[in-house]
Amino acid sequence: MRLELNTVIIRDIQFADKTMVSNGVLHVNRSELEGLLLEDPRFSRVDIELARPGEKCRILQVGDVIEPRAKTSPGDEDFPGVVGGQVPVGRGSTCVLGGAAVVLSDYREKREVGKSTDPSGEIIDMSGPGAEASIYGKTYNIVLLPTPSDGTNPQEYQAALKIAGLRTAAYLAKAGTGITPDATEVFELPPLTEVKAGFERLPRVVYIFQILSLQFDAIPGEPVLYGRNVPGIVPALIHPNEVLDGALTSPSPTLNLQTYQIQNQPIIKELYKRHGKDLCFTGVIVTTAPNNMTEIERVSNMTATLAKYTVGADGAVLTKTGGGAPELTMAMTAQLCERLGIKTAIAMLHMAADVSDPRYGATTIFSMPEVDAIVSMGVPFMRLTLPPVERIIGRAGASAEGPVSGEIVRAINNIRGTLCQLGSSRLKAVRY
Amino acid sequence: MIRVAHYVNQFFGGIGGEDKADMPPRLVEGMVGPGKAVQAALGDQGEVVATVICGDNYFAEHVERASEEVRELLRPYKPDLLVAGPAFNAGRYGIACGATCRMAQNNLGIPAITGMYEGNPGVDLYRRDVYIIQTKDSARGMVDAVNKMVTFAGKLLRKENIGRPAEEGYFARGQLINETADRIGAERVVEMLLAKLRGEPFESEVARPVYDRVKPALRIKDIHSATIALVTDGGLVPKGNPDKIEMITATRFGRYDIKNIDTLNPEAYEVSHGGYDSTLVRQDPNRLVPVDAMRDLEREGVIGKLHDTFYSTTGLASIVVIMKKVGQGIAESLKAEGVSGVILTST
Amino acid sequence: MGIPAVQLSAVIAVAEMVGSNRIMLAQKIVNPVGNADLDPVEEKKLRRSMVKKALTALQADVEKQTVLR
Repeated sequence: MRLELNTVIIRDIQFADKTMVSNGVLHVNRSELEGLLLEDPRFSRVDIELARPGEKCRILQVGDVIEPRAKTSPGDEDFPGVVGGQVPVGRGSTCVLGGAAVVLSDYREKREVGKSTDPSGEIIDMSGPGAEASIYGKTYNIVLLPTPSDGTNPQEYQAALKIAGLRTAAYLAKAGTGITPDATEVFELPPLTEVKAGFERLPRVVYIFQILSLQFDAIPGEPVLYGRNVPGIVPALIHPNEVLDGALTSPSPTLNLQTYQIQNQPIIKELYKRHGKDLCFTGVIVTTAPNNMTEIERVSNMTATLAKYTVGADGAVLTKTGGGAPELTMAMTAQLCERLGIKTAIAMLHMAADVSDPRYGATTIFSMPEVDAIVSMGVPFMRLTLPPVERIIGRAGASAEGPVSGEIVRAINNIRGTLCQLGSSRLKAVRY
Repeated sequence: MIRVAHYVNQFFGGIGGEDKADMPPRLVEGMVGPGKAVQAALGDQGEVVATVICGDNYFAEHVERASEEVRELLRPYKPDLLVAGPAFNAGRYGIACGATCRMAQNNLGIPAITGMYEGNPGVDLYRRDVYIIQTKDSARGMVDAVNKMVTFAGKLLRKENIGRPAEEGYFARGQLINETADRIGAERVVEMLLAKLRGEPFESEVARPVYDRVKPALRIKDIHSATIALVTDGGLVPKGNPDKIEMITATRFGRYDIKNIDTLNPEAYEVSHGGYDSTLVRQDPNRLVPVDAMRDLEREGVIGKLHDTFYSTTGLASIVVIMKKVGQGIAESLKAEGVSGVILTST
Repeated sequence: MGIPAVQLSAVIAVAEMVGSNRIMLAQKIVNPVGNADLDPVEEKKLRRSMVKKALTALQADVEKQTVLR
């Protein structure tokens, strides 16, 4: 399958009469977009705001972040199962509005610990240390602030919010169709039966990609894989281009992993870069992280078996989503792979011991001699002092923690886009 | 000229051996014993102005009091730096050195340095608070240890940036600091896998924790006369959380009366634990601490007695050293109360 | 002389890692000795049977880490 990503770089955004891109400026017809999103009866109102890098602006209650992308090849569909119909993705051509992002802002005020419908209170700062540390402090952001209609429960709202984000992403990127791209990337990988041809000497590497953590209730109706949530799925082999081209989104609460990061999947891109030179990239296995031991053992077993006996991998890279139980699932899967003769390397964020003070250091939740190649993606609880801002985007009064427009201190875990479970940042936790 | 205070035990202070381990702290002006090595390392940059000598037992048995006494002895000498030991592999001495350094930092406001061998219990107890230089396991490593300690102390005094543990020779303090690597994480993980596949050496960025092992306790021979206690790390506490057990990184435990209580009443309890959805437990606390089932078994004579109190702490993002102390505290209470066995329920 | 302790945990891998000697698989993290899908009478029966099983672990001679499922 061959995918062409054509990036049009966005250097400014503004509201205008017509949604279009010209000279690097994304113009957005606010009322047209609003009308499009209000087709969903789960919203009573949709506010849309723009935030530019450098502005003294803080965006609150950030949920997912999505890169504007749309298919430009005939017969292809955007975000199949959500926006477009069910056809393969990962082929043809896609327009990417680089440097822009659709940011979802959740309306709710109260925090409910431990539930998946938890408005996480994550923020994005558009200037200052928060912006420097984050991807989204540097993108031109189109912020959606939908309000749920009466009778819409929190889970329905979350699903609708995600869908609104994807629809907006496709709507905006359609405006880039026909414009000469600033950059083009091609991702081409033949099917398993042909991929090794000519590369028999190279180690076969598979990427084991955890896409859903069941620590949190899976939100029914939230599109994750080809338009549906996937709590019960068994480990499945998919083509890396499908990940890059809109088959997959990050399930709420998108902890340190947003759809934007999945669309720009750094592990897949790196494996592609090395394909044919240092390794033979033999595909992606998507799995879930269960919340009980029996299922963890089952999923680990099925994943390792698939990697060994069907894919024939020599090596595997593993990443996770969510928190502790996923870390354990990833480690057990890696251990099983090692025992079957597949070498593994894993990437993880450290769950440091104290939310307010990273002095205490962290240990991994697992301790297996075979799982000995571990890359650190950073400690989530390091704190940044964020300066006062002049503008807040978010529901007024929303945020559990006081006057949020003044100077505030936040753990980087709470600032969207600073960390990435897939390793798109250069952060690394070092022991002192 | 840096004014240096030195702490040594009764042996290195030349007073005596185990027979003098109970001696309280006493101060001698100038240097004593290994203080000579400290002075040699200082050269003309500093002077060992006072040495405190204390018995290992005296200190280890009254850490707080001994620390205060050492503090008061040293205060008039206005030291700029405290050097303790090195203690090598001597456990009580290690504890005294760690505590003295911590006291110097907290109460005298001066930098402090000590040295221990990795097996010294003082390392795990004090490594987070105090810089501990890694030494050999006996005094044959004295000169080398003291030189490293004094060199390192210089950096502390000059408030220089302290490098990584391996580079500077101190025990990792359990701090994890984010740094910016030269490449993104994704590149580093693929590179590490390739090294592993090629059979090349690689260095994991994250260390594997190694936990100790405990010998299993002997079984209960007669369950019908046994007193069984319930313990939990699910953070179940009486309404109002009177002992203020923290919902993450807890540092304490509570003991709660269940005498004559047949079943835990949801109105009377709450959960202080940030790591799981406690709805079901709050609806029925017996789902975490099975008082109702145990009471039935007690009534039926299956067990001798359900212990009058249950113990509770919160197991989330816990620090091993602290939880060990919590566990010890609970175990000591249980032992004193004549408990024969424990059912520990974890979330 | 130590007091025998049996740990009931849904995530036994962690109990094994940290060195518990008597380990028993619990129901779920959110209700170790319960099951909200059952009616109260059945749930209590389940709890009782789990506790009884835990007591057998306390009466068993173990030389190394032992997991009851």
